[in-house]
Amino acid sequence: MRKCTYPKAAALLVGASLALSGCGGSSAAEPVDVSAEPEYSGKLSILTKFGGDPLEPYFEDLAAQYTELHPDVSFELIQETDQSIKDKTKTLTASQAMPDIYFTWAGNWADNFIDGGLAADLSPVIAPGTDWGDTFGESSLEAFKKDGKYYAVPLYNNGKFMGYNKKIFEEVGLTPPATFDELISSCAVLKDAGYEPIAFGNKDGWPGLHYLQQLFAYNVPADVLQADFDPETATLDDPGYLTAMEEFTTLVSECTGSGNDSNGVLYTTAQQALAEGKSGMYYQEILEFDSTAAEGTQLQKDGLGIFKLPAAGDAPGDTEAIEGSPEGYLINARSENAALAVDFMKFATNAENAATLSAPPYGQPSAVKGAVSEENSSGPVIEGIEQVNEASAGIIWLDSVTVPDVADAWLAGGEALVSGSRSPEEVLESVRSASEAAK
Amino acid sequence: MTVANSARAAAVPVAGAGVRNLPSPPARAGRKDARGWRNLIWVLPAIGLLAAFVYLPLVQNLGFSVLEWDIYSGGQTFVGAENYARMFEDPIFWKSVVNNLWYAGISIVFQVFGALVLAALIEGLRSDRWRRTLRAVYFIPSAVSLTVAGLLFYFIYEPQMGILNAALDGAGIGQFTQAWLGQENTAIFGIIAMSQWQGFGYCTLLFAVALQRIPTELYEAAAIDGVGPFRRFFSISLPLVREMSSLMMIVTVSGAFQVFNEVMVMTGGGPNNSSQVLGTWLYRSGFVKNDFGYASAIATAIFVITLSLAVLQLWYSRRRRVEW
Repeated sequence: MRKCTYPKAAALLVGASLALSGCGGSSAAEPVDVSAEPEYSGKLSILTKFGGDPLEPYFEDLAAQYTELHPDVSFELIQETDQSIKDKTKTLTASQAMPDIYFTWAGNWADNFIDGGLAADLSPVIAPGTDWGDTFGESSLEAFKKDGKYYAVPLYNNGKFMGYNKKIFEEVGLTPPATFDELISSCAVLKDAGYEPIAFGNKDGWPGLHYLQQLFAYNVPADVLQADFDPETATLDDPGYLTAMEEFTTLVSECTGSGNDSNGVLYTTAQQALAEGKSGMYYQEILEFDSTAAEGTQLQKDGLGIFKLPAAGDAPGDTEAIEGSPEGYLINARSENAALAVDFMKFATNAENAATLSAPPYGQPSAVKGAVSEENSSGPVIEGIEQVNEASAGIIWLDSVTVPDVADAWLAGGEALVSGSRSPEEVLESVRSASEAAK
Repeated sequence: MTVANSARAAAVPVAGAGVRNLPSPPARAGRKDARGWRNLIWVLPAIGLLAAFVYLPLVQNLGFSVLEWDIYSGGQTFVGAENYARMFEDPIFWKSVVNNLWYAGISIVFQVFGALVLAALIEGLRSDRWRRTLRAVYFIPSAVSLTVAGLLFYFIYEPQMGILNAALDGAGIGQFTQAWLGQENTAIFGIIAMSQWQGFGYCTLLFAVALQRIPTELYEAAAIDGVGPFRRFFSISLPLVREMSSLMMIVTVSGAFQVFNEVMVMTGGGPNNSSQVLGTWLYRSGFVKNDFGYASAIATAIFVITLSLAVLQLWYSRRRRVEW
């Protein structure tokens, strides 16, 4: 039963509205049986993050193939983009109209659905040791594990790397830097040769957060960092945060062409600068590799190389960690088609479809073991996935690992660091206040 | 003659109408009641729609604003005025109010006074063809959707490829180039400037229509008396378009407190929340921070502010109504 407590004095004021908003409505549903034999009939609704080109046809094709196998099953596909899916998901959640299958990031984003009883426990069918579970890399499954239970179907893996133009690096005599200081030094060489060293567009705020999160992982001890993500245990007083923010501001001022103006530049503009051979480097996700070096771009001709954002030589944190996490799909715990939804996701992650997802034009490295191979994936994607698999830890994105209030404070702080309006100490103080308030 | 006088004149019984044919007072009252009920039936659908889509959501919003609402579990807990107390202590809420006030103030200057002056200049032209052409030229930006205009200006302001910085460089004043939307002290003004460009022509057109309704005899008489164009503008045009000016003030100020699209498209409220307005802070509180109770409190604040300003302006303009 959902909580609904009001003092009598306010009952009249809010009574009418609450009657319509649904407070005191349906009680929590019985746990769905995800391991039941599916009935191959009815309509499956799916909320994907594959809206727009080139990803949109992926789920459309899957749905068409599945309907061919099971003619009584139809689909309602709601396909959103990376930006719009956040609003869509929350609107559907608030109006209690979540589809049978829906997209999720790892971390706090998924935890909200799990804690709210909106995500079915998939452990009986996907936990390591089950037939389906054993087809996935274990770290991908672990990313969506909570209180010993497995909740999501990991669809693809991801990680953040510095992409560089091989030809430009060769031309100016550079090799991928091994330390943060070497990275800063290489920027001067690229500048002298007339190139923008690192293309950076922070209009949306999150590109800056990606740098910060990787630098936090390097400069803040892992256990401290994990504790600080949760407002209940956070202290946010480790000096590594200040070091990381200072490194970030150094990188912005020494390595980017837009410098303090970067908050006015779109991340796609920066991506384009690398694609056109105007800049030497651009910090990007594995999911972007194939579109940045797409057919016909200068980068495709010059060659895209990748390296992990280098850590300072004396960094006290986990210098082997890589920022990034798998993205997956939850099954609605209140769905009447839960068993059918599970069956469809098994179909979506079979070897053939996993290989299709990993190959161009999609270029989304499947979380299914062996799906990313030389036959279907580009060199940088294979190299990126290998490095993610070898990393000591995967660090979840800063804007989804912690609670929204703290993430929002980091986002504003990152923008302030870029424009130079606030010092690292002031930013940390504002984040600490947000974390205190979120307890 | 005023509208009120003509209404009174119409109500006077026509001479010679037979008193004998008039129904008795109770019958007349009953017929009037029946007609009243029939009239009510005709307006009921509109009242129903207004109630369902305007007044009910308002009441609902008021209800949500005193709750802490977890959209994931569906749990709603009454927290009284806590969301309002937080709102008054929230520096970004006040930053948003200040930005909305900037929006309103600058919009009044450009979209009310500026548009009126421009309309007077256009209507003062002798050539009808030029008048029509200029009205169309100024109106065209209003036909562009705010989202499209926002994107267009985003690229005009873009620090590396935008034509504004290129123009400043070309004019030899490159020291003024900057990331107009990427700097905290210029972002909101960049958005407001775009909004003036977009809304200016629409206001000009409405003022042009209002000016056309003023009898030309008044201007001719003033001209014969030797009154110059400035005095004619301030003594004839300005008082006689007062109702349109009041309407434009209400529309402009209310619009300034409801602004959302252009800010979302151009800056999303950033950098560092410097260009947040009440609409975007409401959105961010609800859809990003999952704090729907607090977002409802902000929505209530927007409603109270816009309603108060509209009532104040209506009261003021009615006191000073000029009729001819």
